[in-house]
Amino acid sequence: MIYPFWDVQTGYGILMAIIAIVHVFISHFAIGGGLYLVVTEQMARRHNDELTLAFLKKLTKFFVLVTLVAGVLTGVAIWFIIGLLNPLATEALIHNYVWGWATEWTFFVGEITAALIYYYGWNKMSAKAHITVGWIYFIFAWLSLVIINGILTFMLTPGKWLATGDFWDGFFNPTYWPSVVMRTGVCVMLAGLYALLVASRQTAGDFKARIVRYSATWGLFGLAVTTVAQGWYLKAILLTLTTKILPGPVLALRSAAWLAIAIGGLLLLAWLLARRLPVVVAVLLMAVGLTWFGAFESFRESVRKPYVITGYIYGNSVEVAKTEKYKKEGYLAQITYRSGDAGADLFRHACRSCHTINGYRPLKPAFDGTDHKFIAGIIRGAQLLNANMPPFLGTPAEADQVATYIYKCVDQRPLDQIYPADDLGRQAFAIRCAKCHKLGTASDKSKSFTGQSVDDLNTMLDNLPELAEGMPAYTGNATERAALVAYLQSLGKAVKK
Amino acid sequence: MNLPNYEFLSAPIQLVTVLHLLTLSLHFLAMNLLLGGIIIVLTAVFRKRWDDPTLVKFARVFPVAMAATVTLGVAPLLFLQLVYHRQVYAATIVSGWFWLLVPAAAMVAYYAIYRASGRGEKTGKLSVPALLVALAGLLYISLVYSSVFTMAERPKLIHDLYANDQSGWVWNPATGDYLLRWLHMIIGAITVGGYWIGALGKDSPAAYQTGKRFFVTGFVLAAITGGAYLMTVPALLHTRAIWVLSAGVLLTLGALHLFFKKSFCAAGVLLLGSMLAMVYARHMVRLLRLADTYRPDSMRFAPQWGPFLMFLICFVVVLAVVAYMVRLLTAKRA
Repeated sequence: MIYPFWDVQTGYGILMAIIAIVHVFISHFAIGGGLYLVVTEQMARRHNDELTLAFLKKLTKFFVLVTLVAGVLTGVAIWFIIGLLNPLATEALIHNYVWGWATEWTFFVGEITAALIYYYGWNKMSAKAHITVGWIYFIFAWLSLVIINGILTFMLTPGKWLATGDFWDGFFNPTYWPSVVMRTGVCVMLAGLYALLVASRQTAGDFKARIVRYSATWGLFGLAVTTVAQGWYLKAILLTLTTKILPGPVLALRSAAWLAIAIGGLLLLAWLLARRLPVVVAVLLMAVGLTWFGAFESFRESVRKPYVITGYIYGNSVEVAKTEKYKKEGYLAQITYRSGDAGADLFRHACRSCHTINGYRPLKPAFDGTDHKFIAGIIRGAQLLNANMPPFLGTPAEADQVATYIYKCVDQRPLDQIYPADDLGRQAFAIRCAKCHKLGTASDKSKSFTGQSVDDLNTMLDNLPELAEGMPAYTGNATERAALVAYLQSLGKAVKK
Repeated sequence: MNLPNYEFLSAPIQLVTVLHLLTLSLHFLAMNLLLGGIIIVLTAVFRKRWDDPTLVKFARVFPVAMAATVTLGVAPLLFLQLVYHRQVYAATIVSGWFWLLVPAAAMVAYYAIYRASGRGEKTGKLSVPALLVALAGLLYISLVYSSVFTMAERPKLIHDLYANDQSGWVWNPATGDYLLRWLHMIIGAITVGGYWIGALGKDSPAAYQTGKRFFVTGFVLAAITGGAYLMTVPALLHTRAIWVLSAGVLLTLGALHLFFKKSFCAAGVLLLGSMLAMVYARHMVRLLRLADTYRPDSMRFAPQWGPFLMFLICFVVVLAVVAYMVRLLTAKRA
């Protein structure tokens, strides 16, 4: 709250995802591709294989263009975007890990120099010297992963650091080693995928068959290492995280698993079609690979919720250590940059990191047809919602101010004027109840409605705040209430059947 | 709750400042070769001064200069954010979209530079449109940097600008703070670019002469714009920065003298010294402007000597390996 808030209508999550996923997809290739180039060159030189050497020269050009132009600058873009989206967390990371980052930078200097020398050295250097530079490139590139992995995994599982504040405790955290192995596997897999893309453009024939099968083997081997290490990684996360894993991350993980199977299938297909592998298959493989990486990174980001640094800073830049201060003094007292609209400022700092009114994770549909009191109740109990949200630590008056701000932006007609009568009960349930009691989940209360009379259900609605801590009072009008009660009864009956 | 406090500096402020100023000077040196070099090459193209092979030869250097500019730009930004995080993040957020377009512009410029270089190698002709695109990208980046980093020196201005607009589409309106400074930087880049062109093109009399002309003219113009900018920061005249700046001017004169004698390495060393002096003066301007609101040495010091040692060792090893690789590249093929 010591920083201004960048109020963009594009969701923070989307901005971050676009840049980060493209970057990791290229940067992992930058490492694996380096290994692929030097190992393959060594083999080709040993066998005087001029065709493979010519292929590698072509691949090097593609490699240098992709990694140095797009890879490096999307990396810079990540740095830019995290400073815009969560400057406090970035500040905390830089203060704790400046020498980690500085060390990574030294490897980066070595890596870039080696990449350029390798590229320009194809026709200028002796074979031995060229291969030496190739190995130097790979070692520096991999070492930069080794370093940045410590900072990345620290954000998810800071481990003992939360108690000691020691650099190494945070660096070698519980998910550090599984993540190093997993990401190394990804690097090898992506080397195969990118090489297949270049190989698919070769003229059909024996050489193409050989290079396609060879590259597909890299892909399959990397995929196998990644899959095994991912199990280890997930186990480490489950052993460490105290928050529940919600349907969102689980879905991302399931998607990643299916996409990994698809990658395996496409790699086998490439093997079978080796002699005349069409470019379209290689492009599809790249697209599936990118989506797979997106799903995995989405899991990693979402499983960390509600934190940006687990146990330390919430996703909305609220510091866990200052919980009591916030509760006592409120958020407004901590917001340094003000716009003149207290409600808007509170909304930005408490909610806008993850929600917009109309766009990304919109609040309007979630609160259309409700009222100020209901919205304020939901805000006060935010941490209880089925979404791993950070708690609202401001004062009750500030929760009211945020509610007033949101209420101004939503459809203020009552629900019965927004939705048709035959769908009103379901919509009222979705808006007022399903935020916590989603059907089909552990918090589904349908069973408890079985056999309940209209009077019983009305009494329940009258006493909601007494049923559970943080449950907002029911504030709908008579028409909406009647429709909701009927819907609740139908849920009870459905269970009975 | 007893959680670790992140508000600390893990090395003495003096050490961080030295690293910041040193890496920033190296970044400027590479950037000047790139920006100044492109401007000079384009000027030569439009005036039809050189033959195509000479132009192509310079275009081949630009991808490496771009890689060096980006790579050497990372470290000073890291050290800057370590010490001036509150000011820098606040200013970048206020100009969020302009700031975020910097990597995009750099990517376009980088690609254009590779294209110009590649086309030159393939056809023997320079791609002027590609170089113009690269130049536009680099000028945009330089202008955003000047706008944002001078805004970061004016905390009150950031508060006022943010109060009016939170969208991230705010450009620093205090042009008096940075237009002259930006112009000085661009002319400085052309000056140093002149040195690079002369040094790299020493075998071509036309290239050397052009480099010399840009070096000399650039120096005079940079001195005029630098002097004018100095008048906008009168407080600087009462600090030791003015002596350092004067030494910087003398070092540039020395570099010019050596350049005339074709001692390019020695001239380069003096230019780096001059660059350090300018960067130091720039640093002093920041300290002066922030003096009322922030003192970097007021940050809590909690050393992390182990990780610092790791950085230092890796830095030395990487430098040695880089030198080894360059030797491998330049060694005669067996």
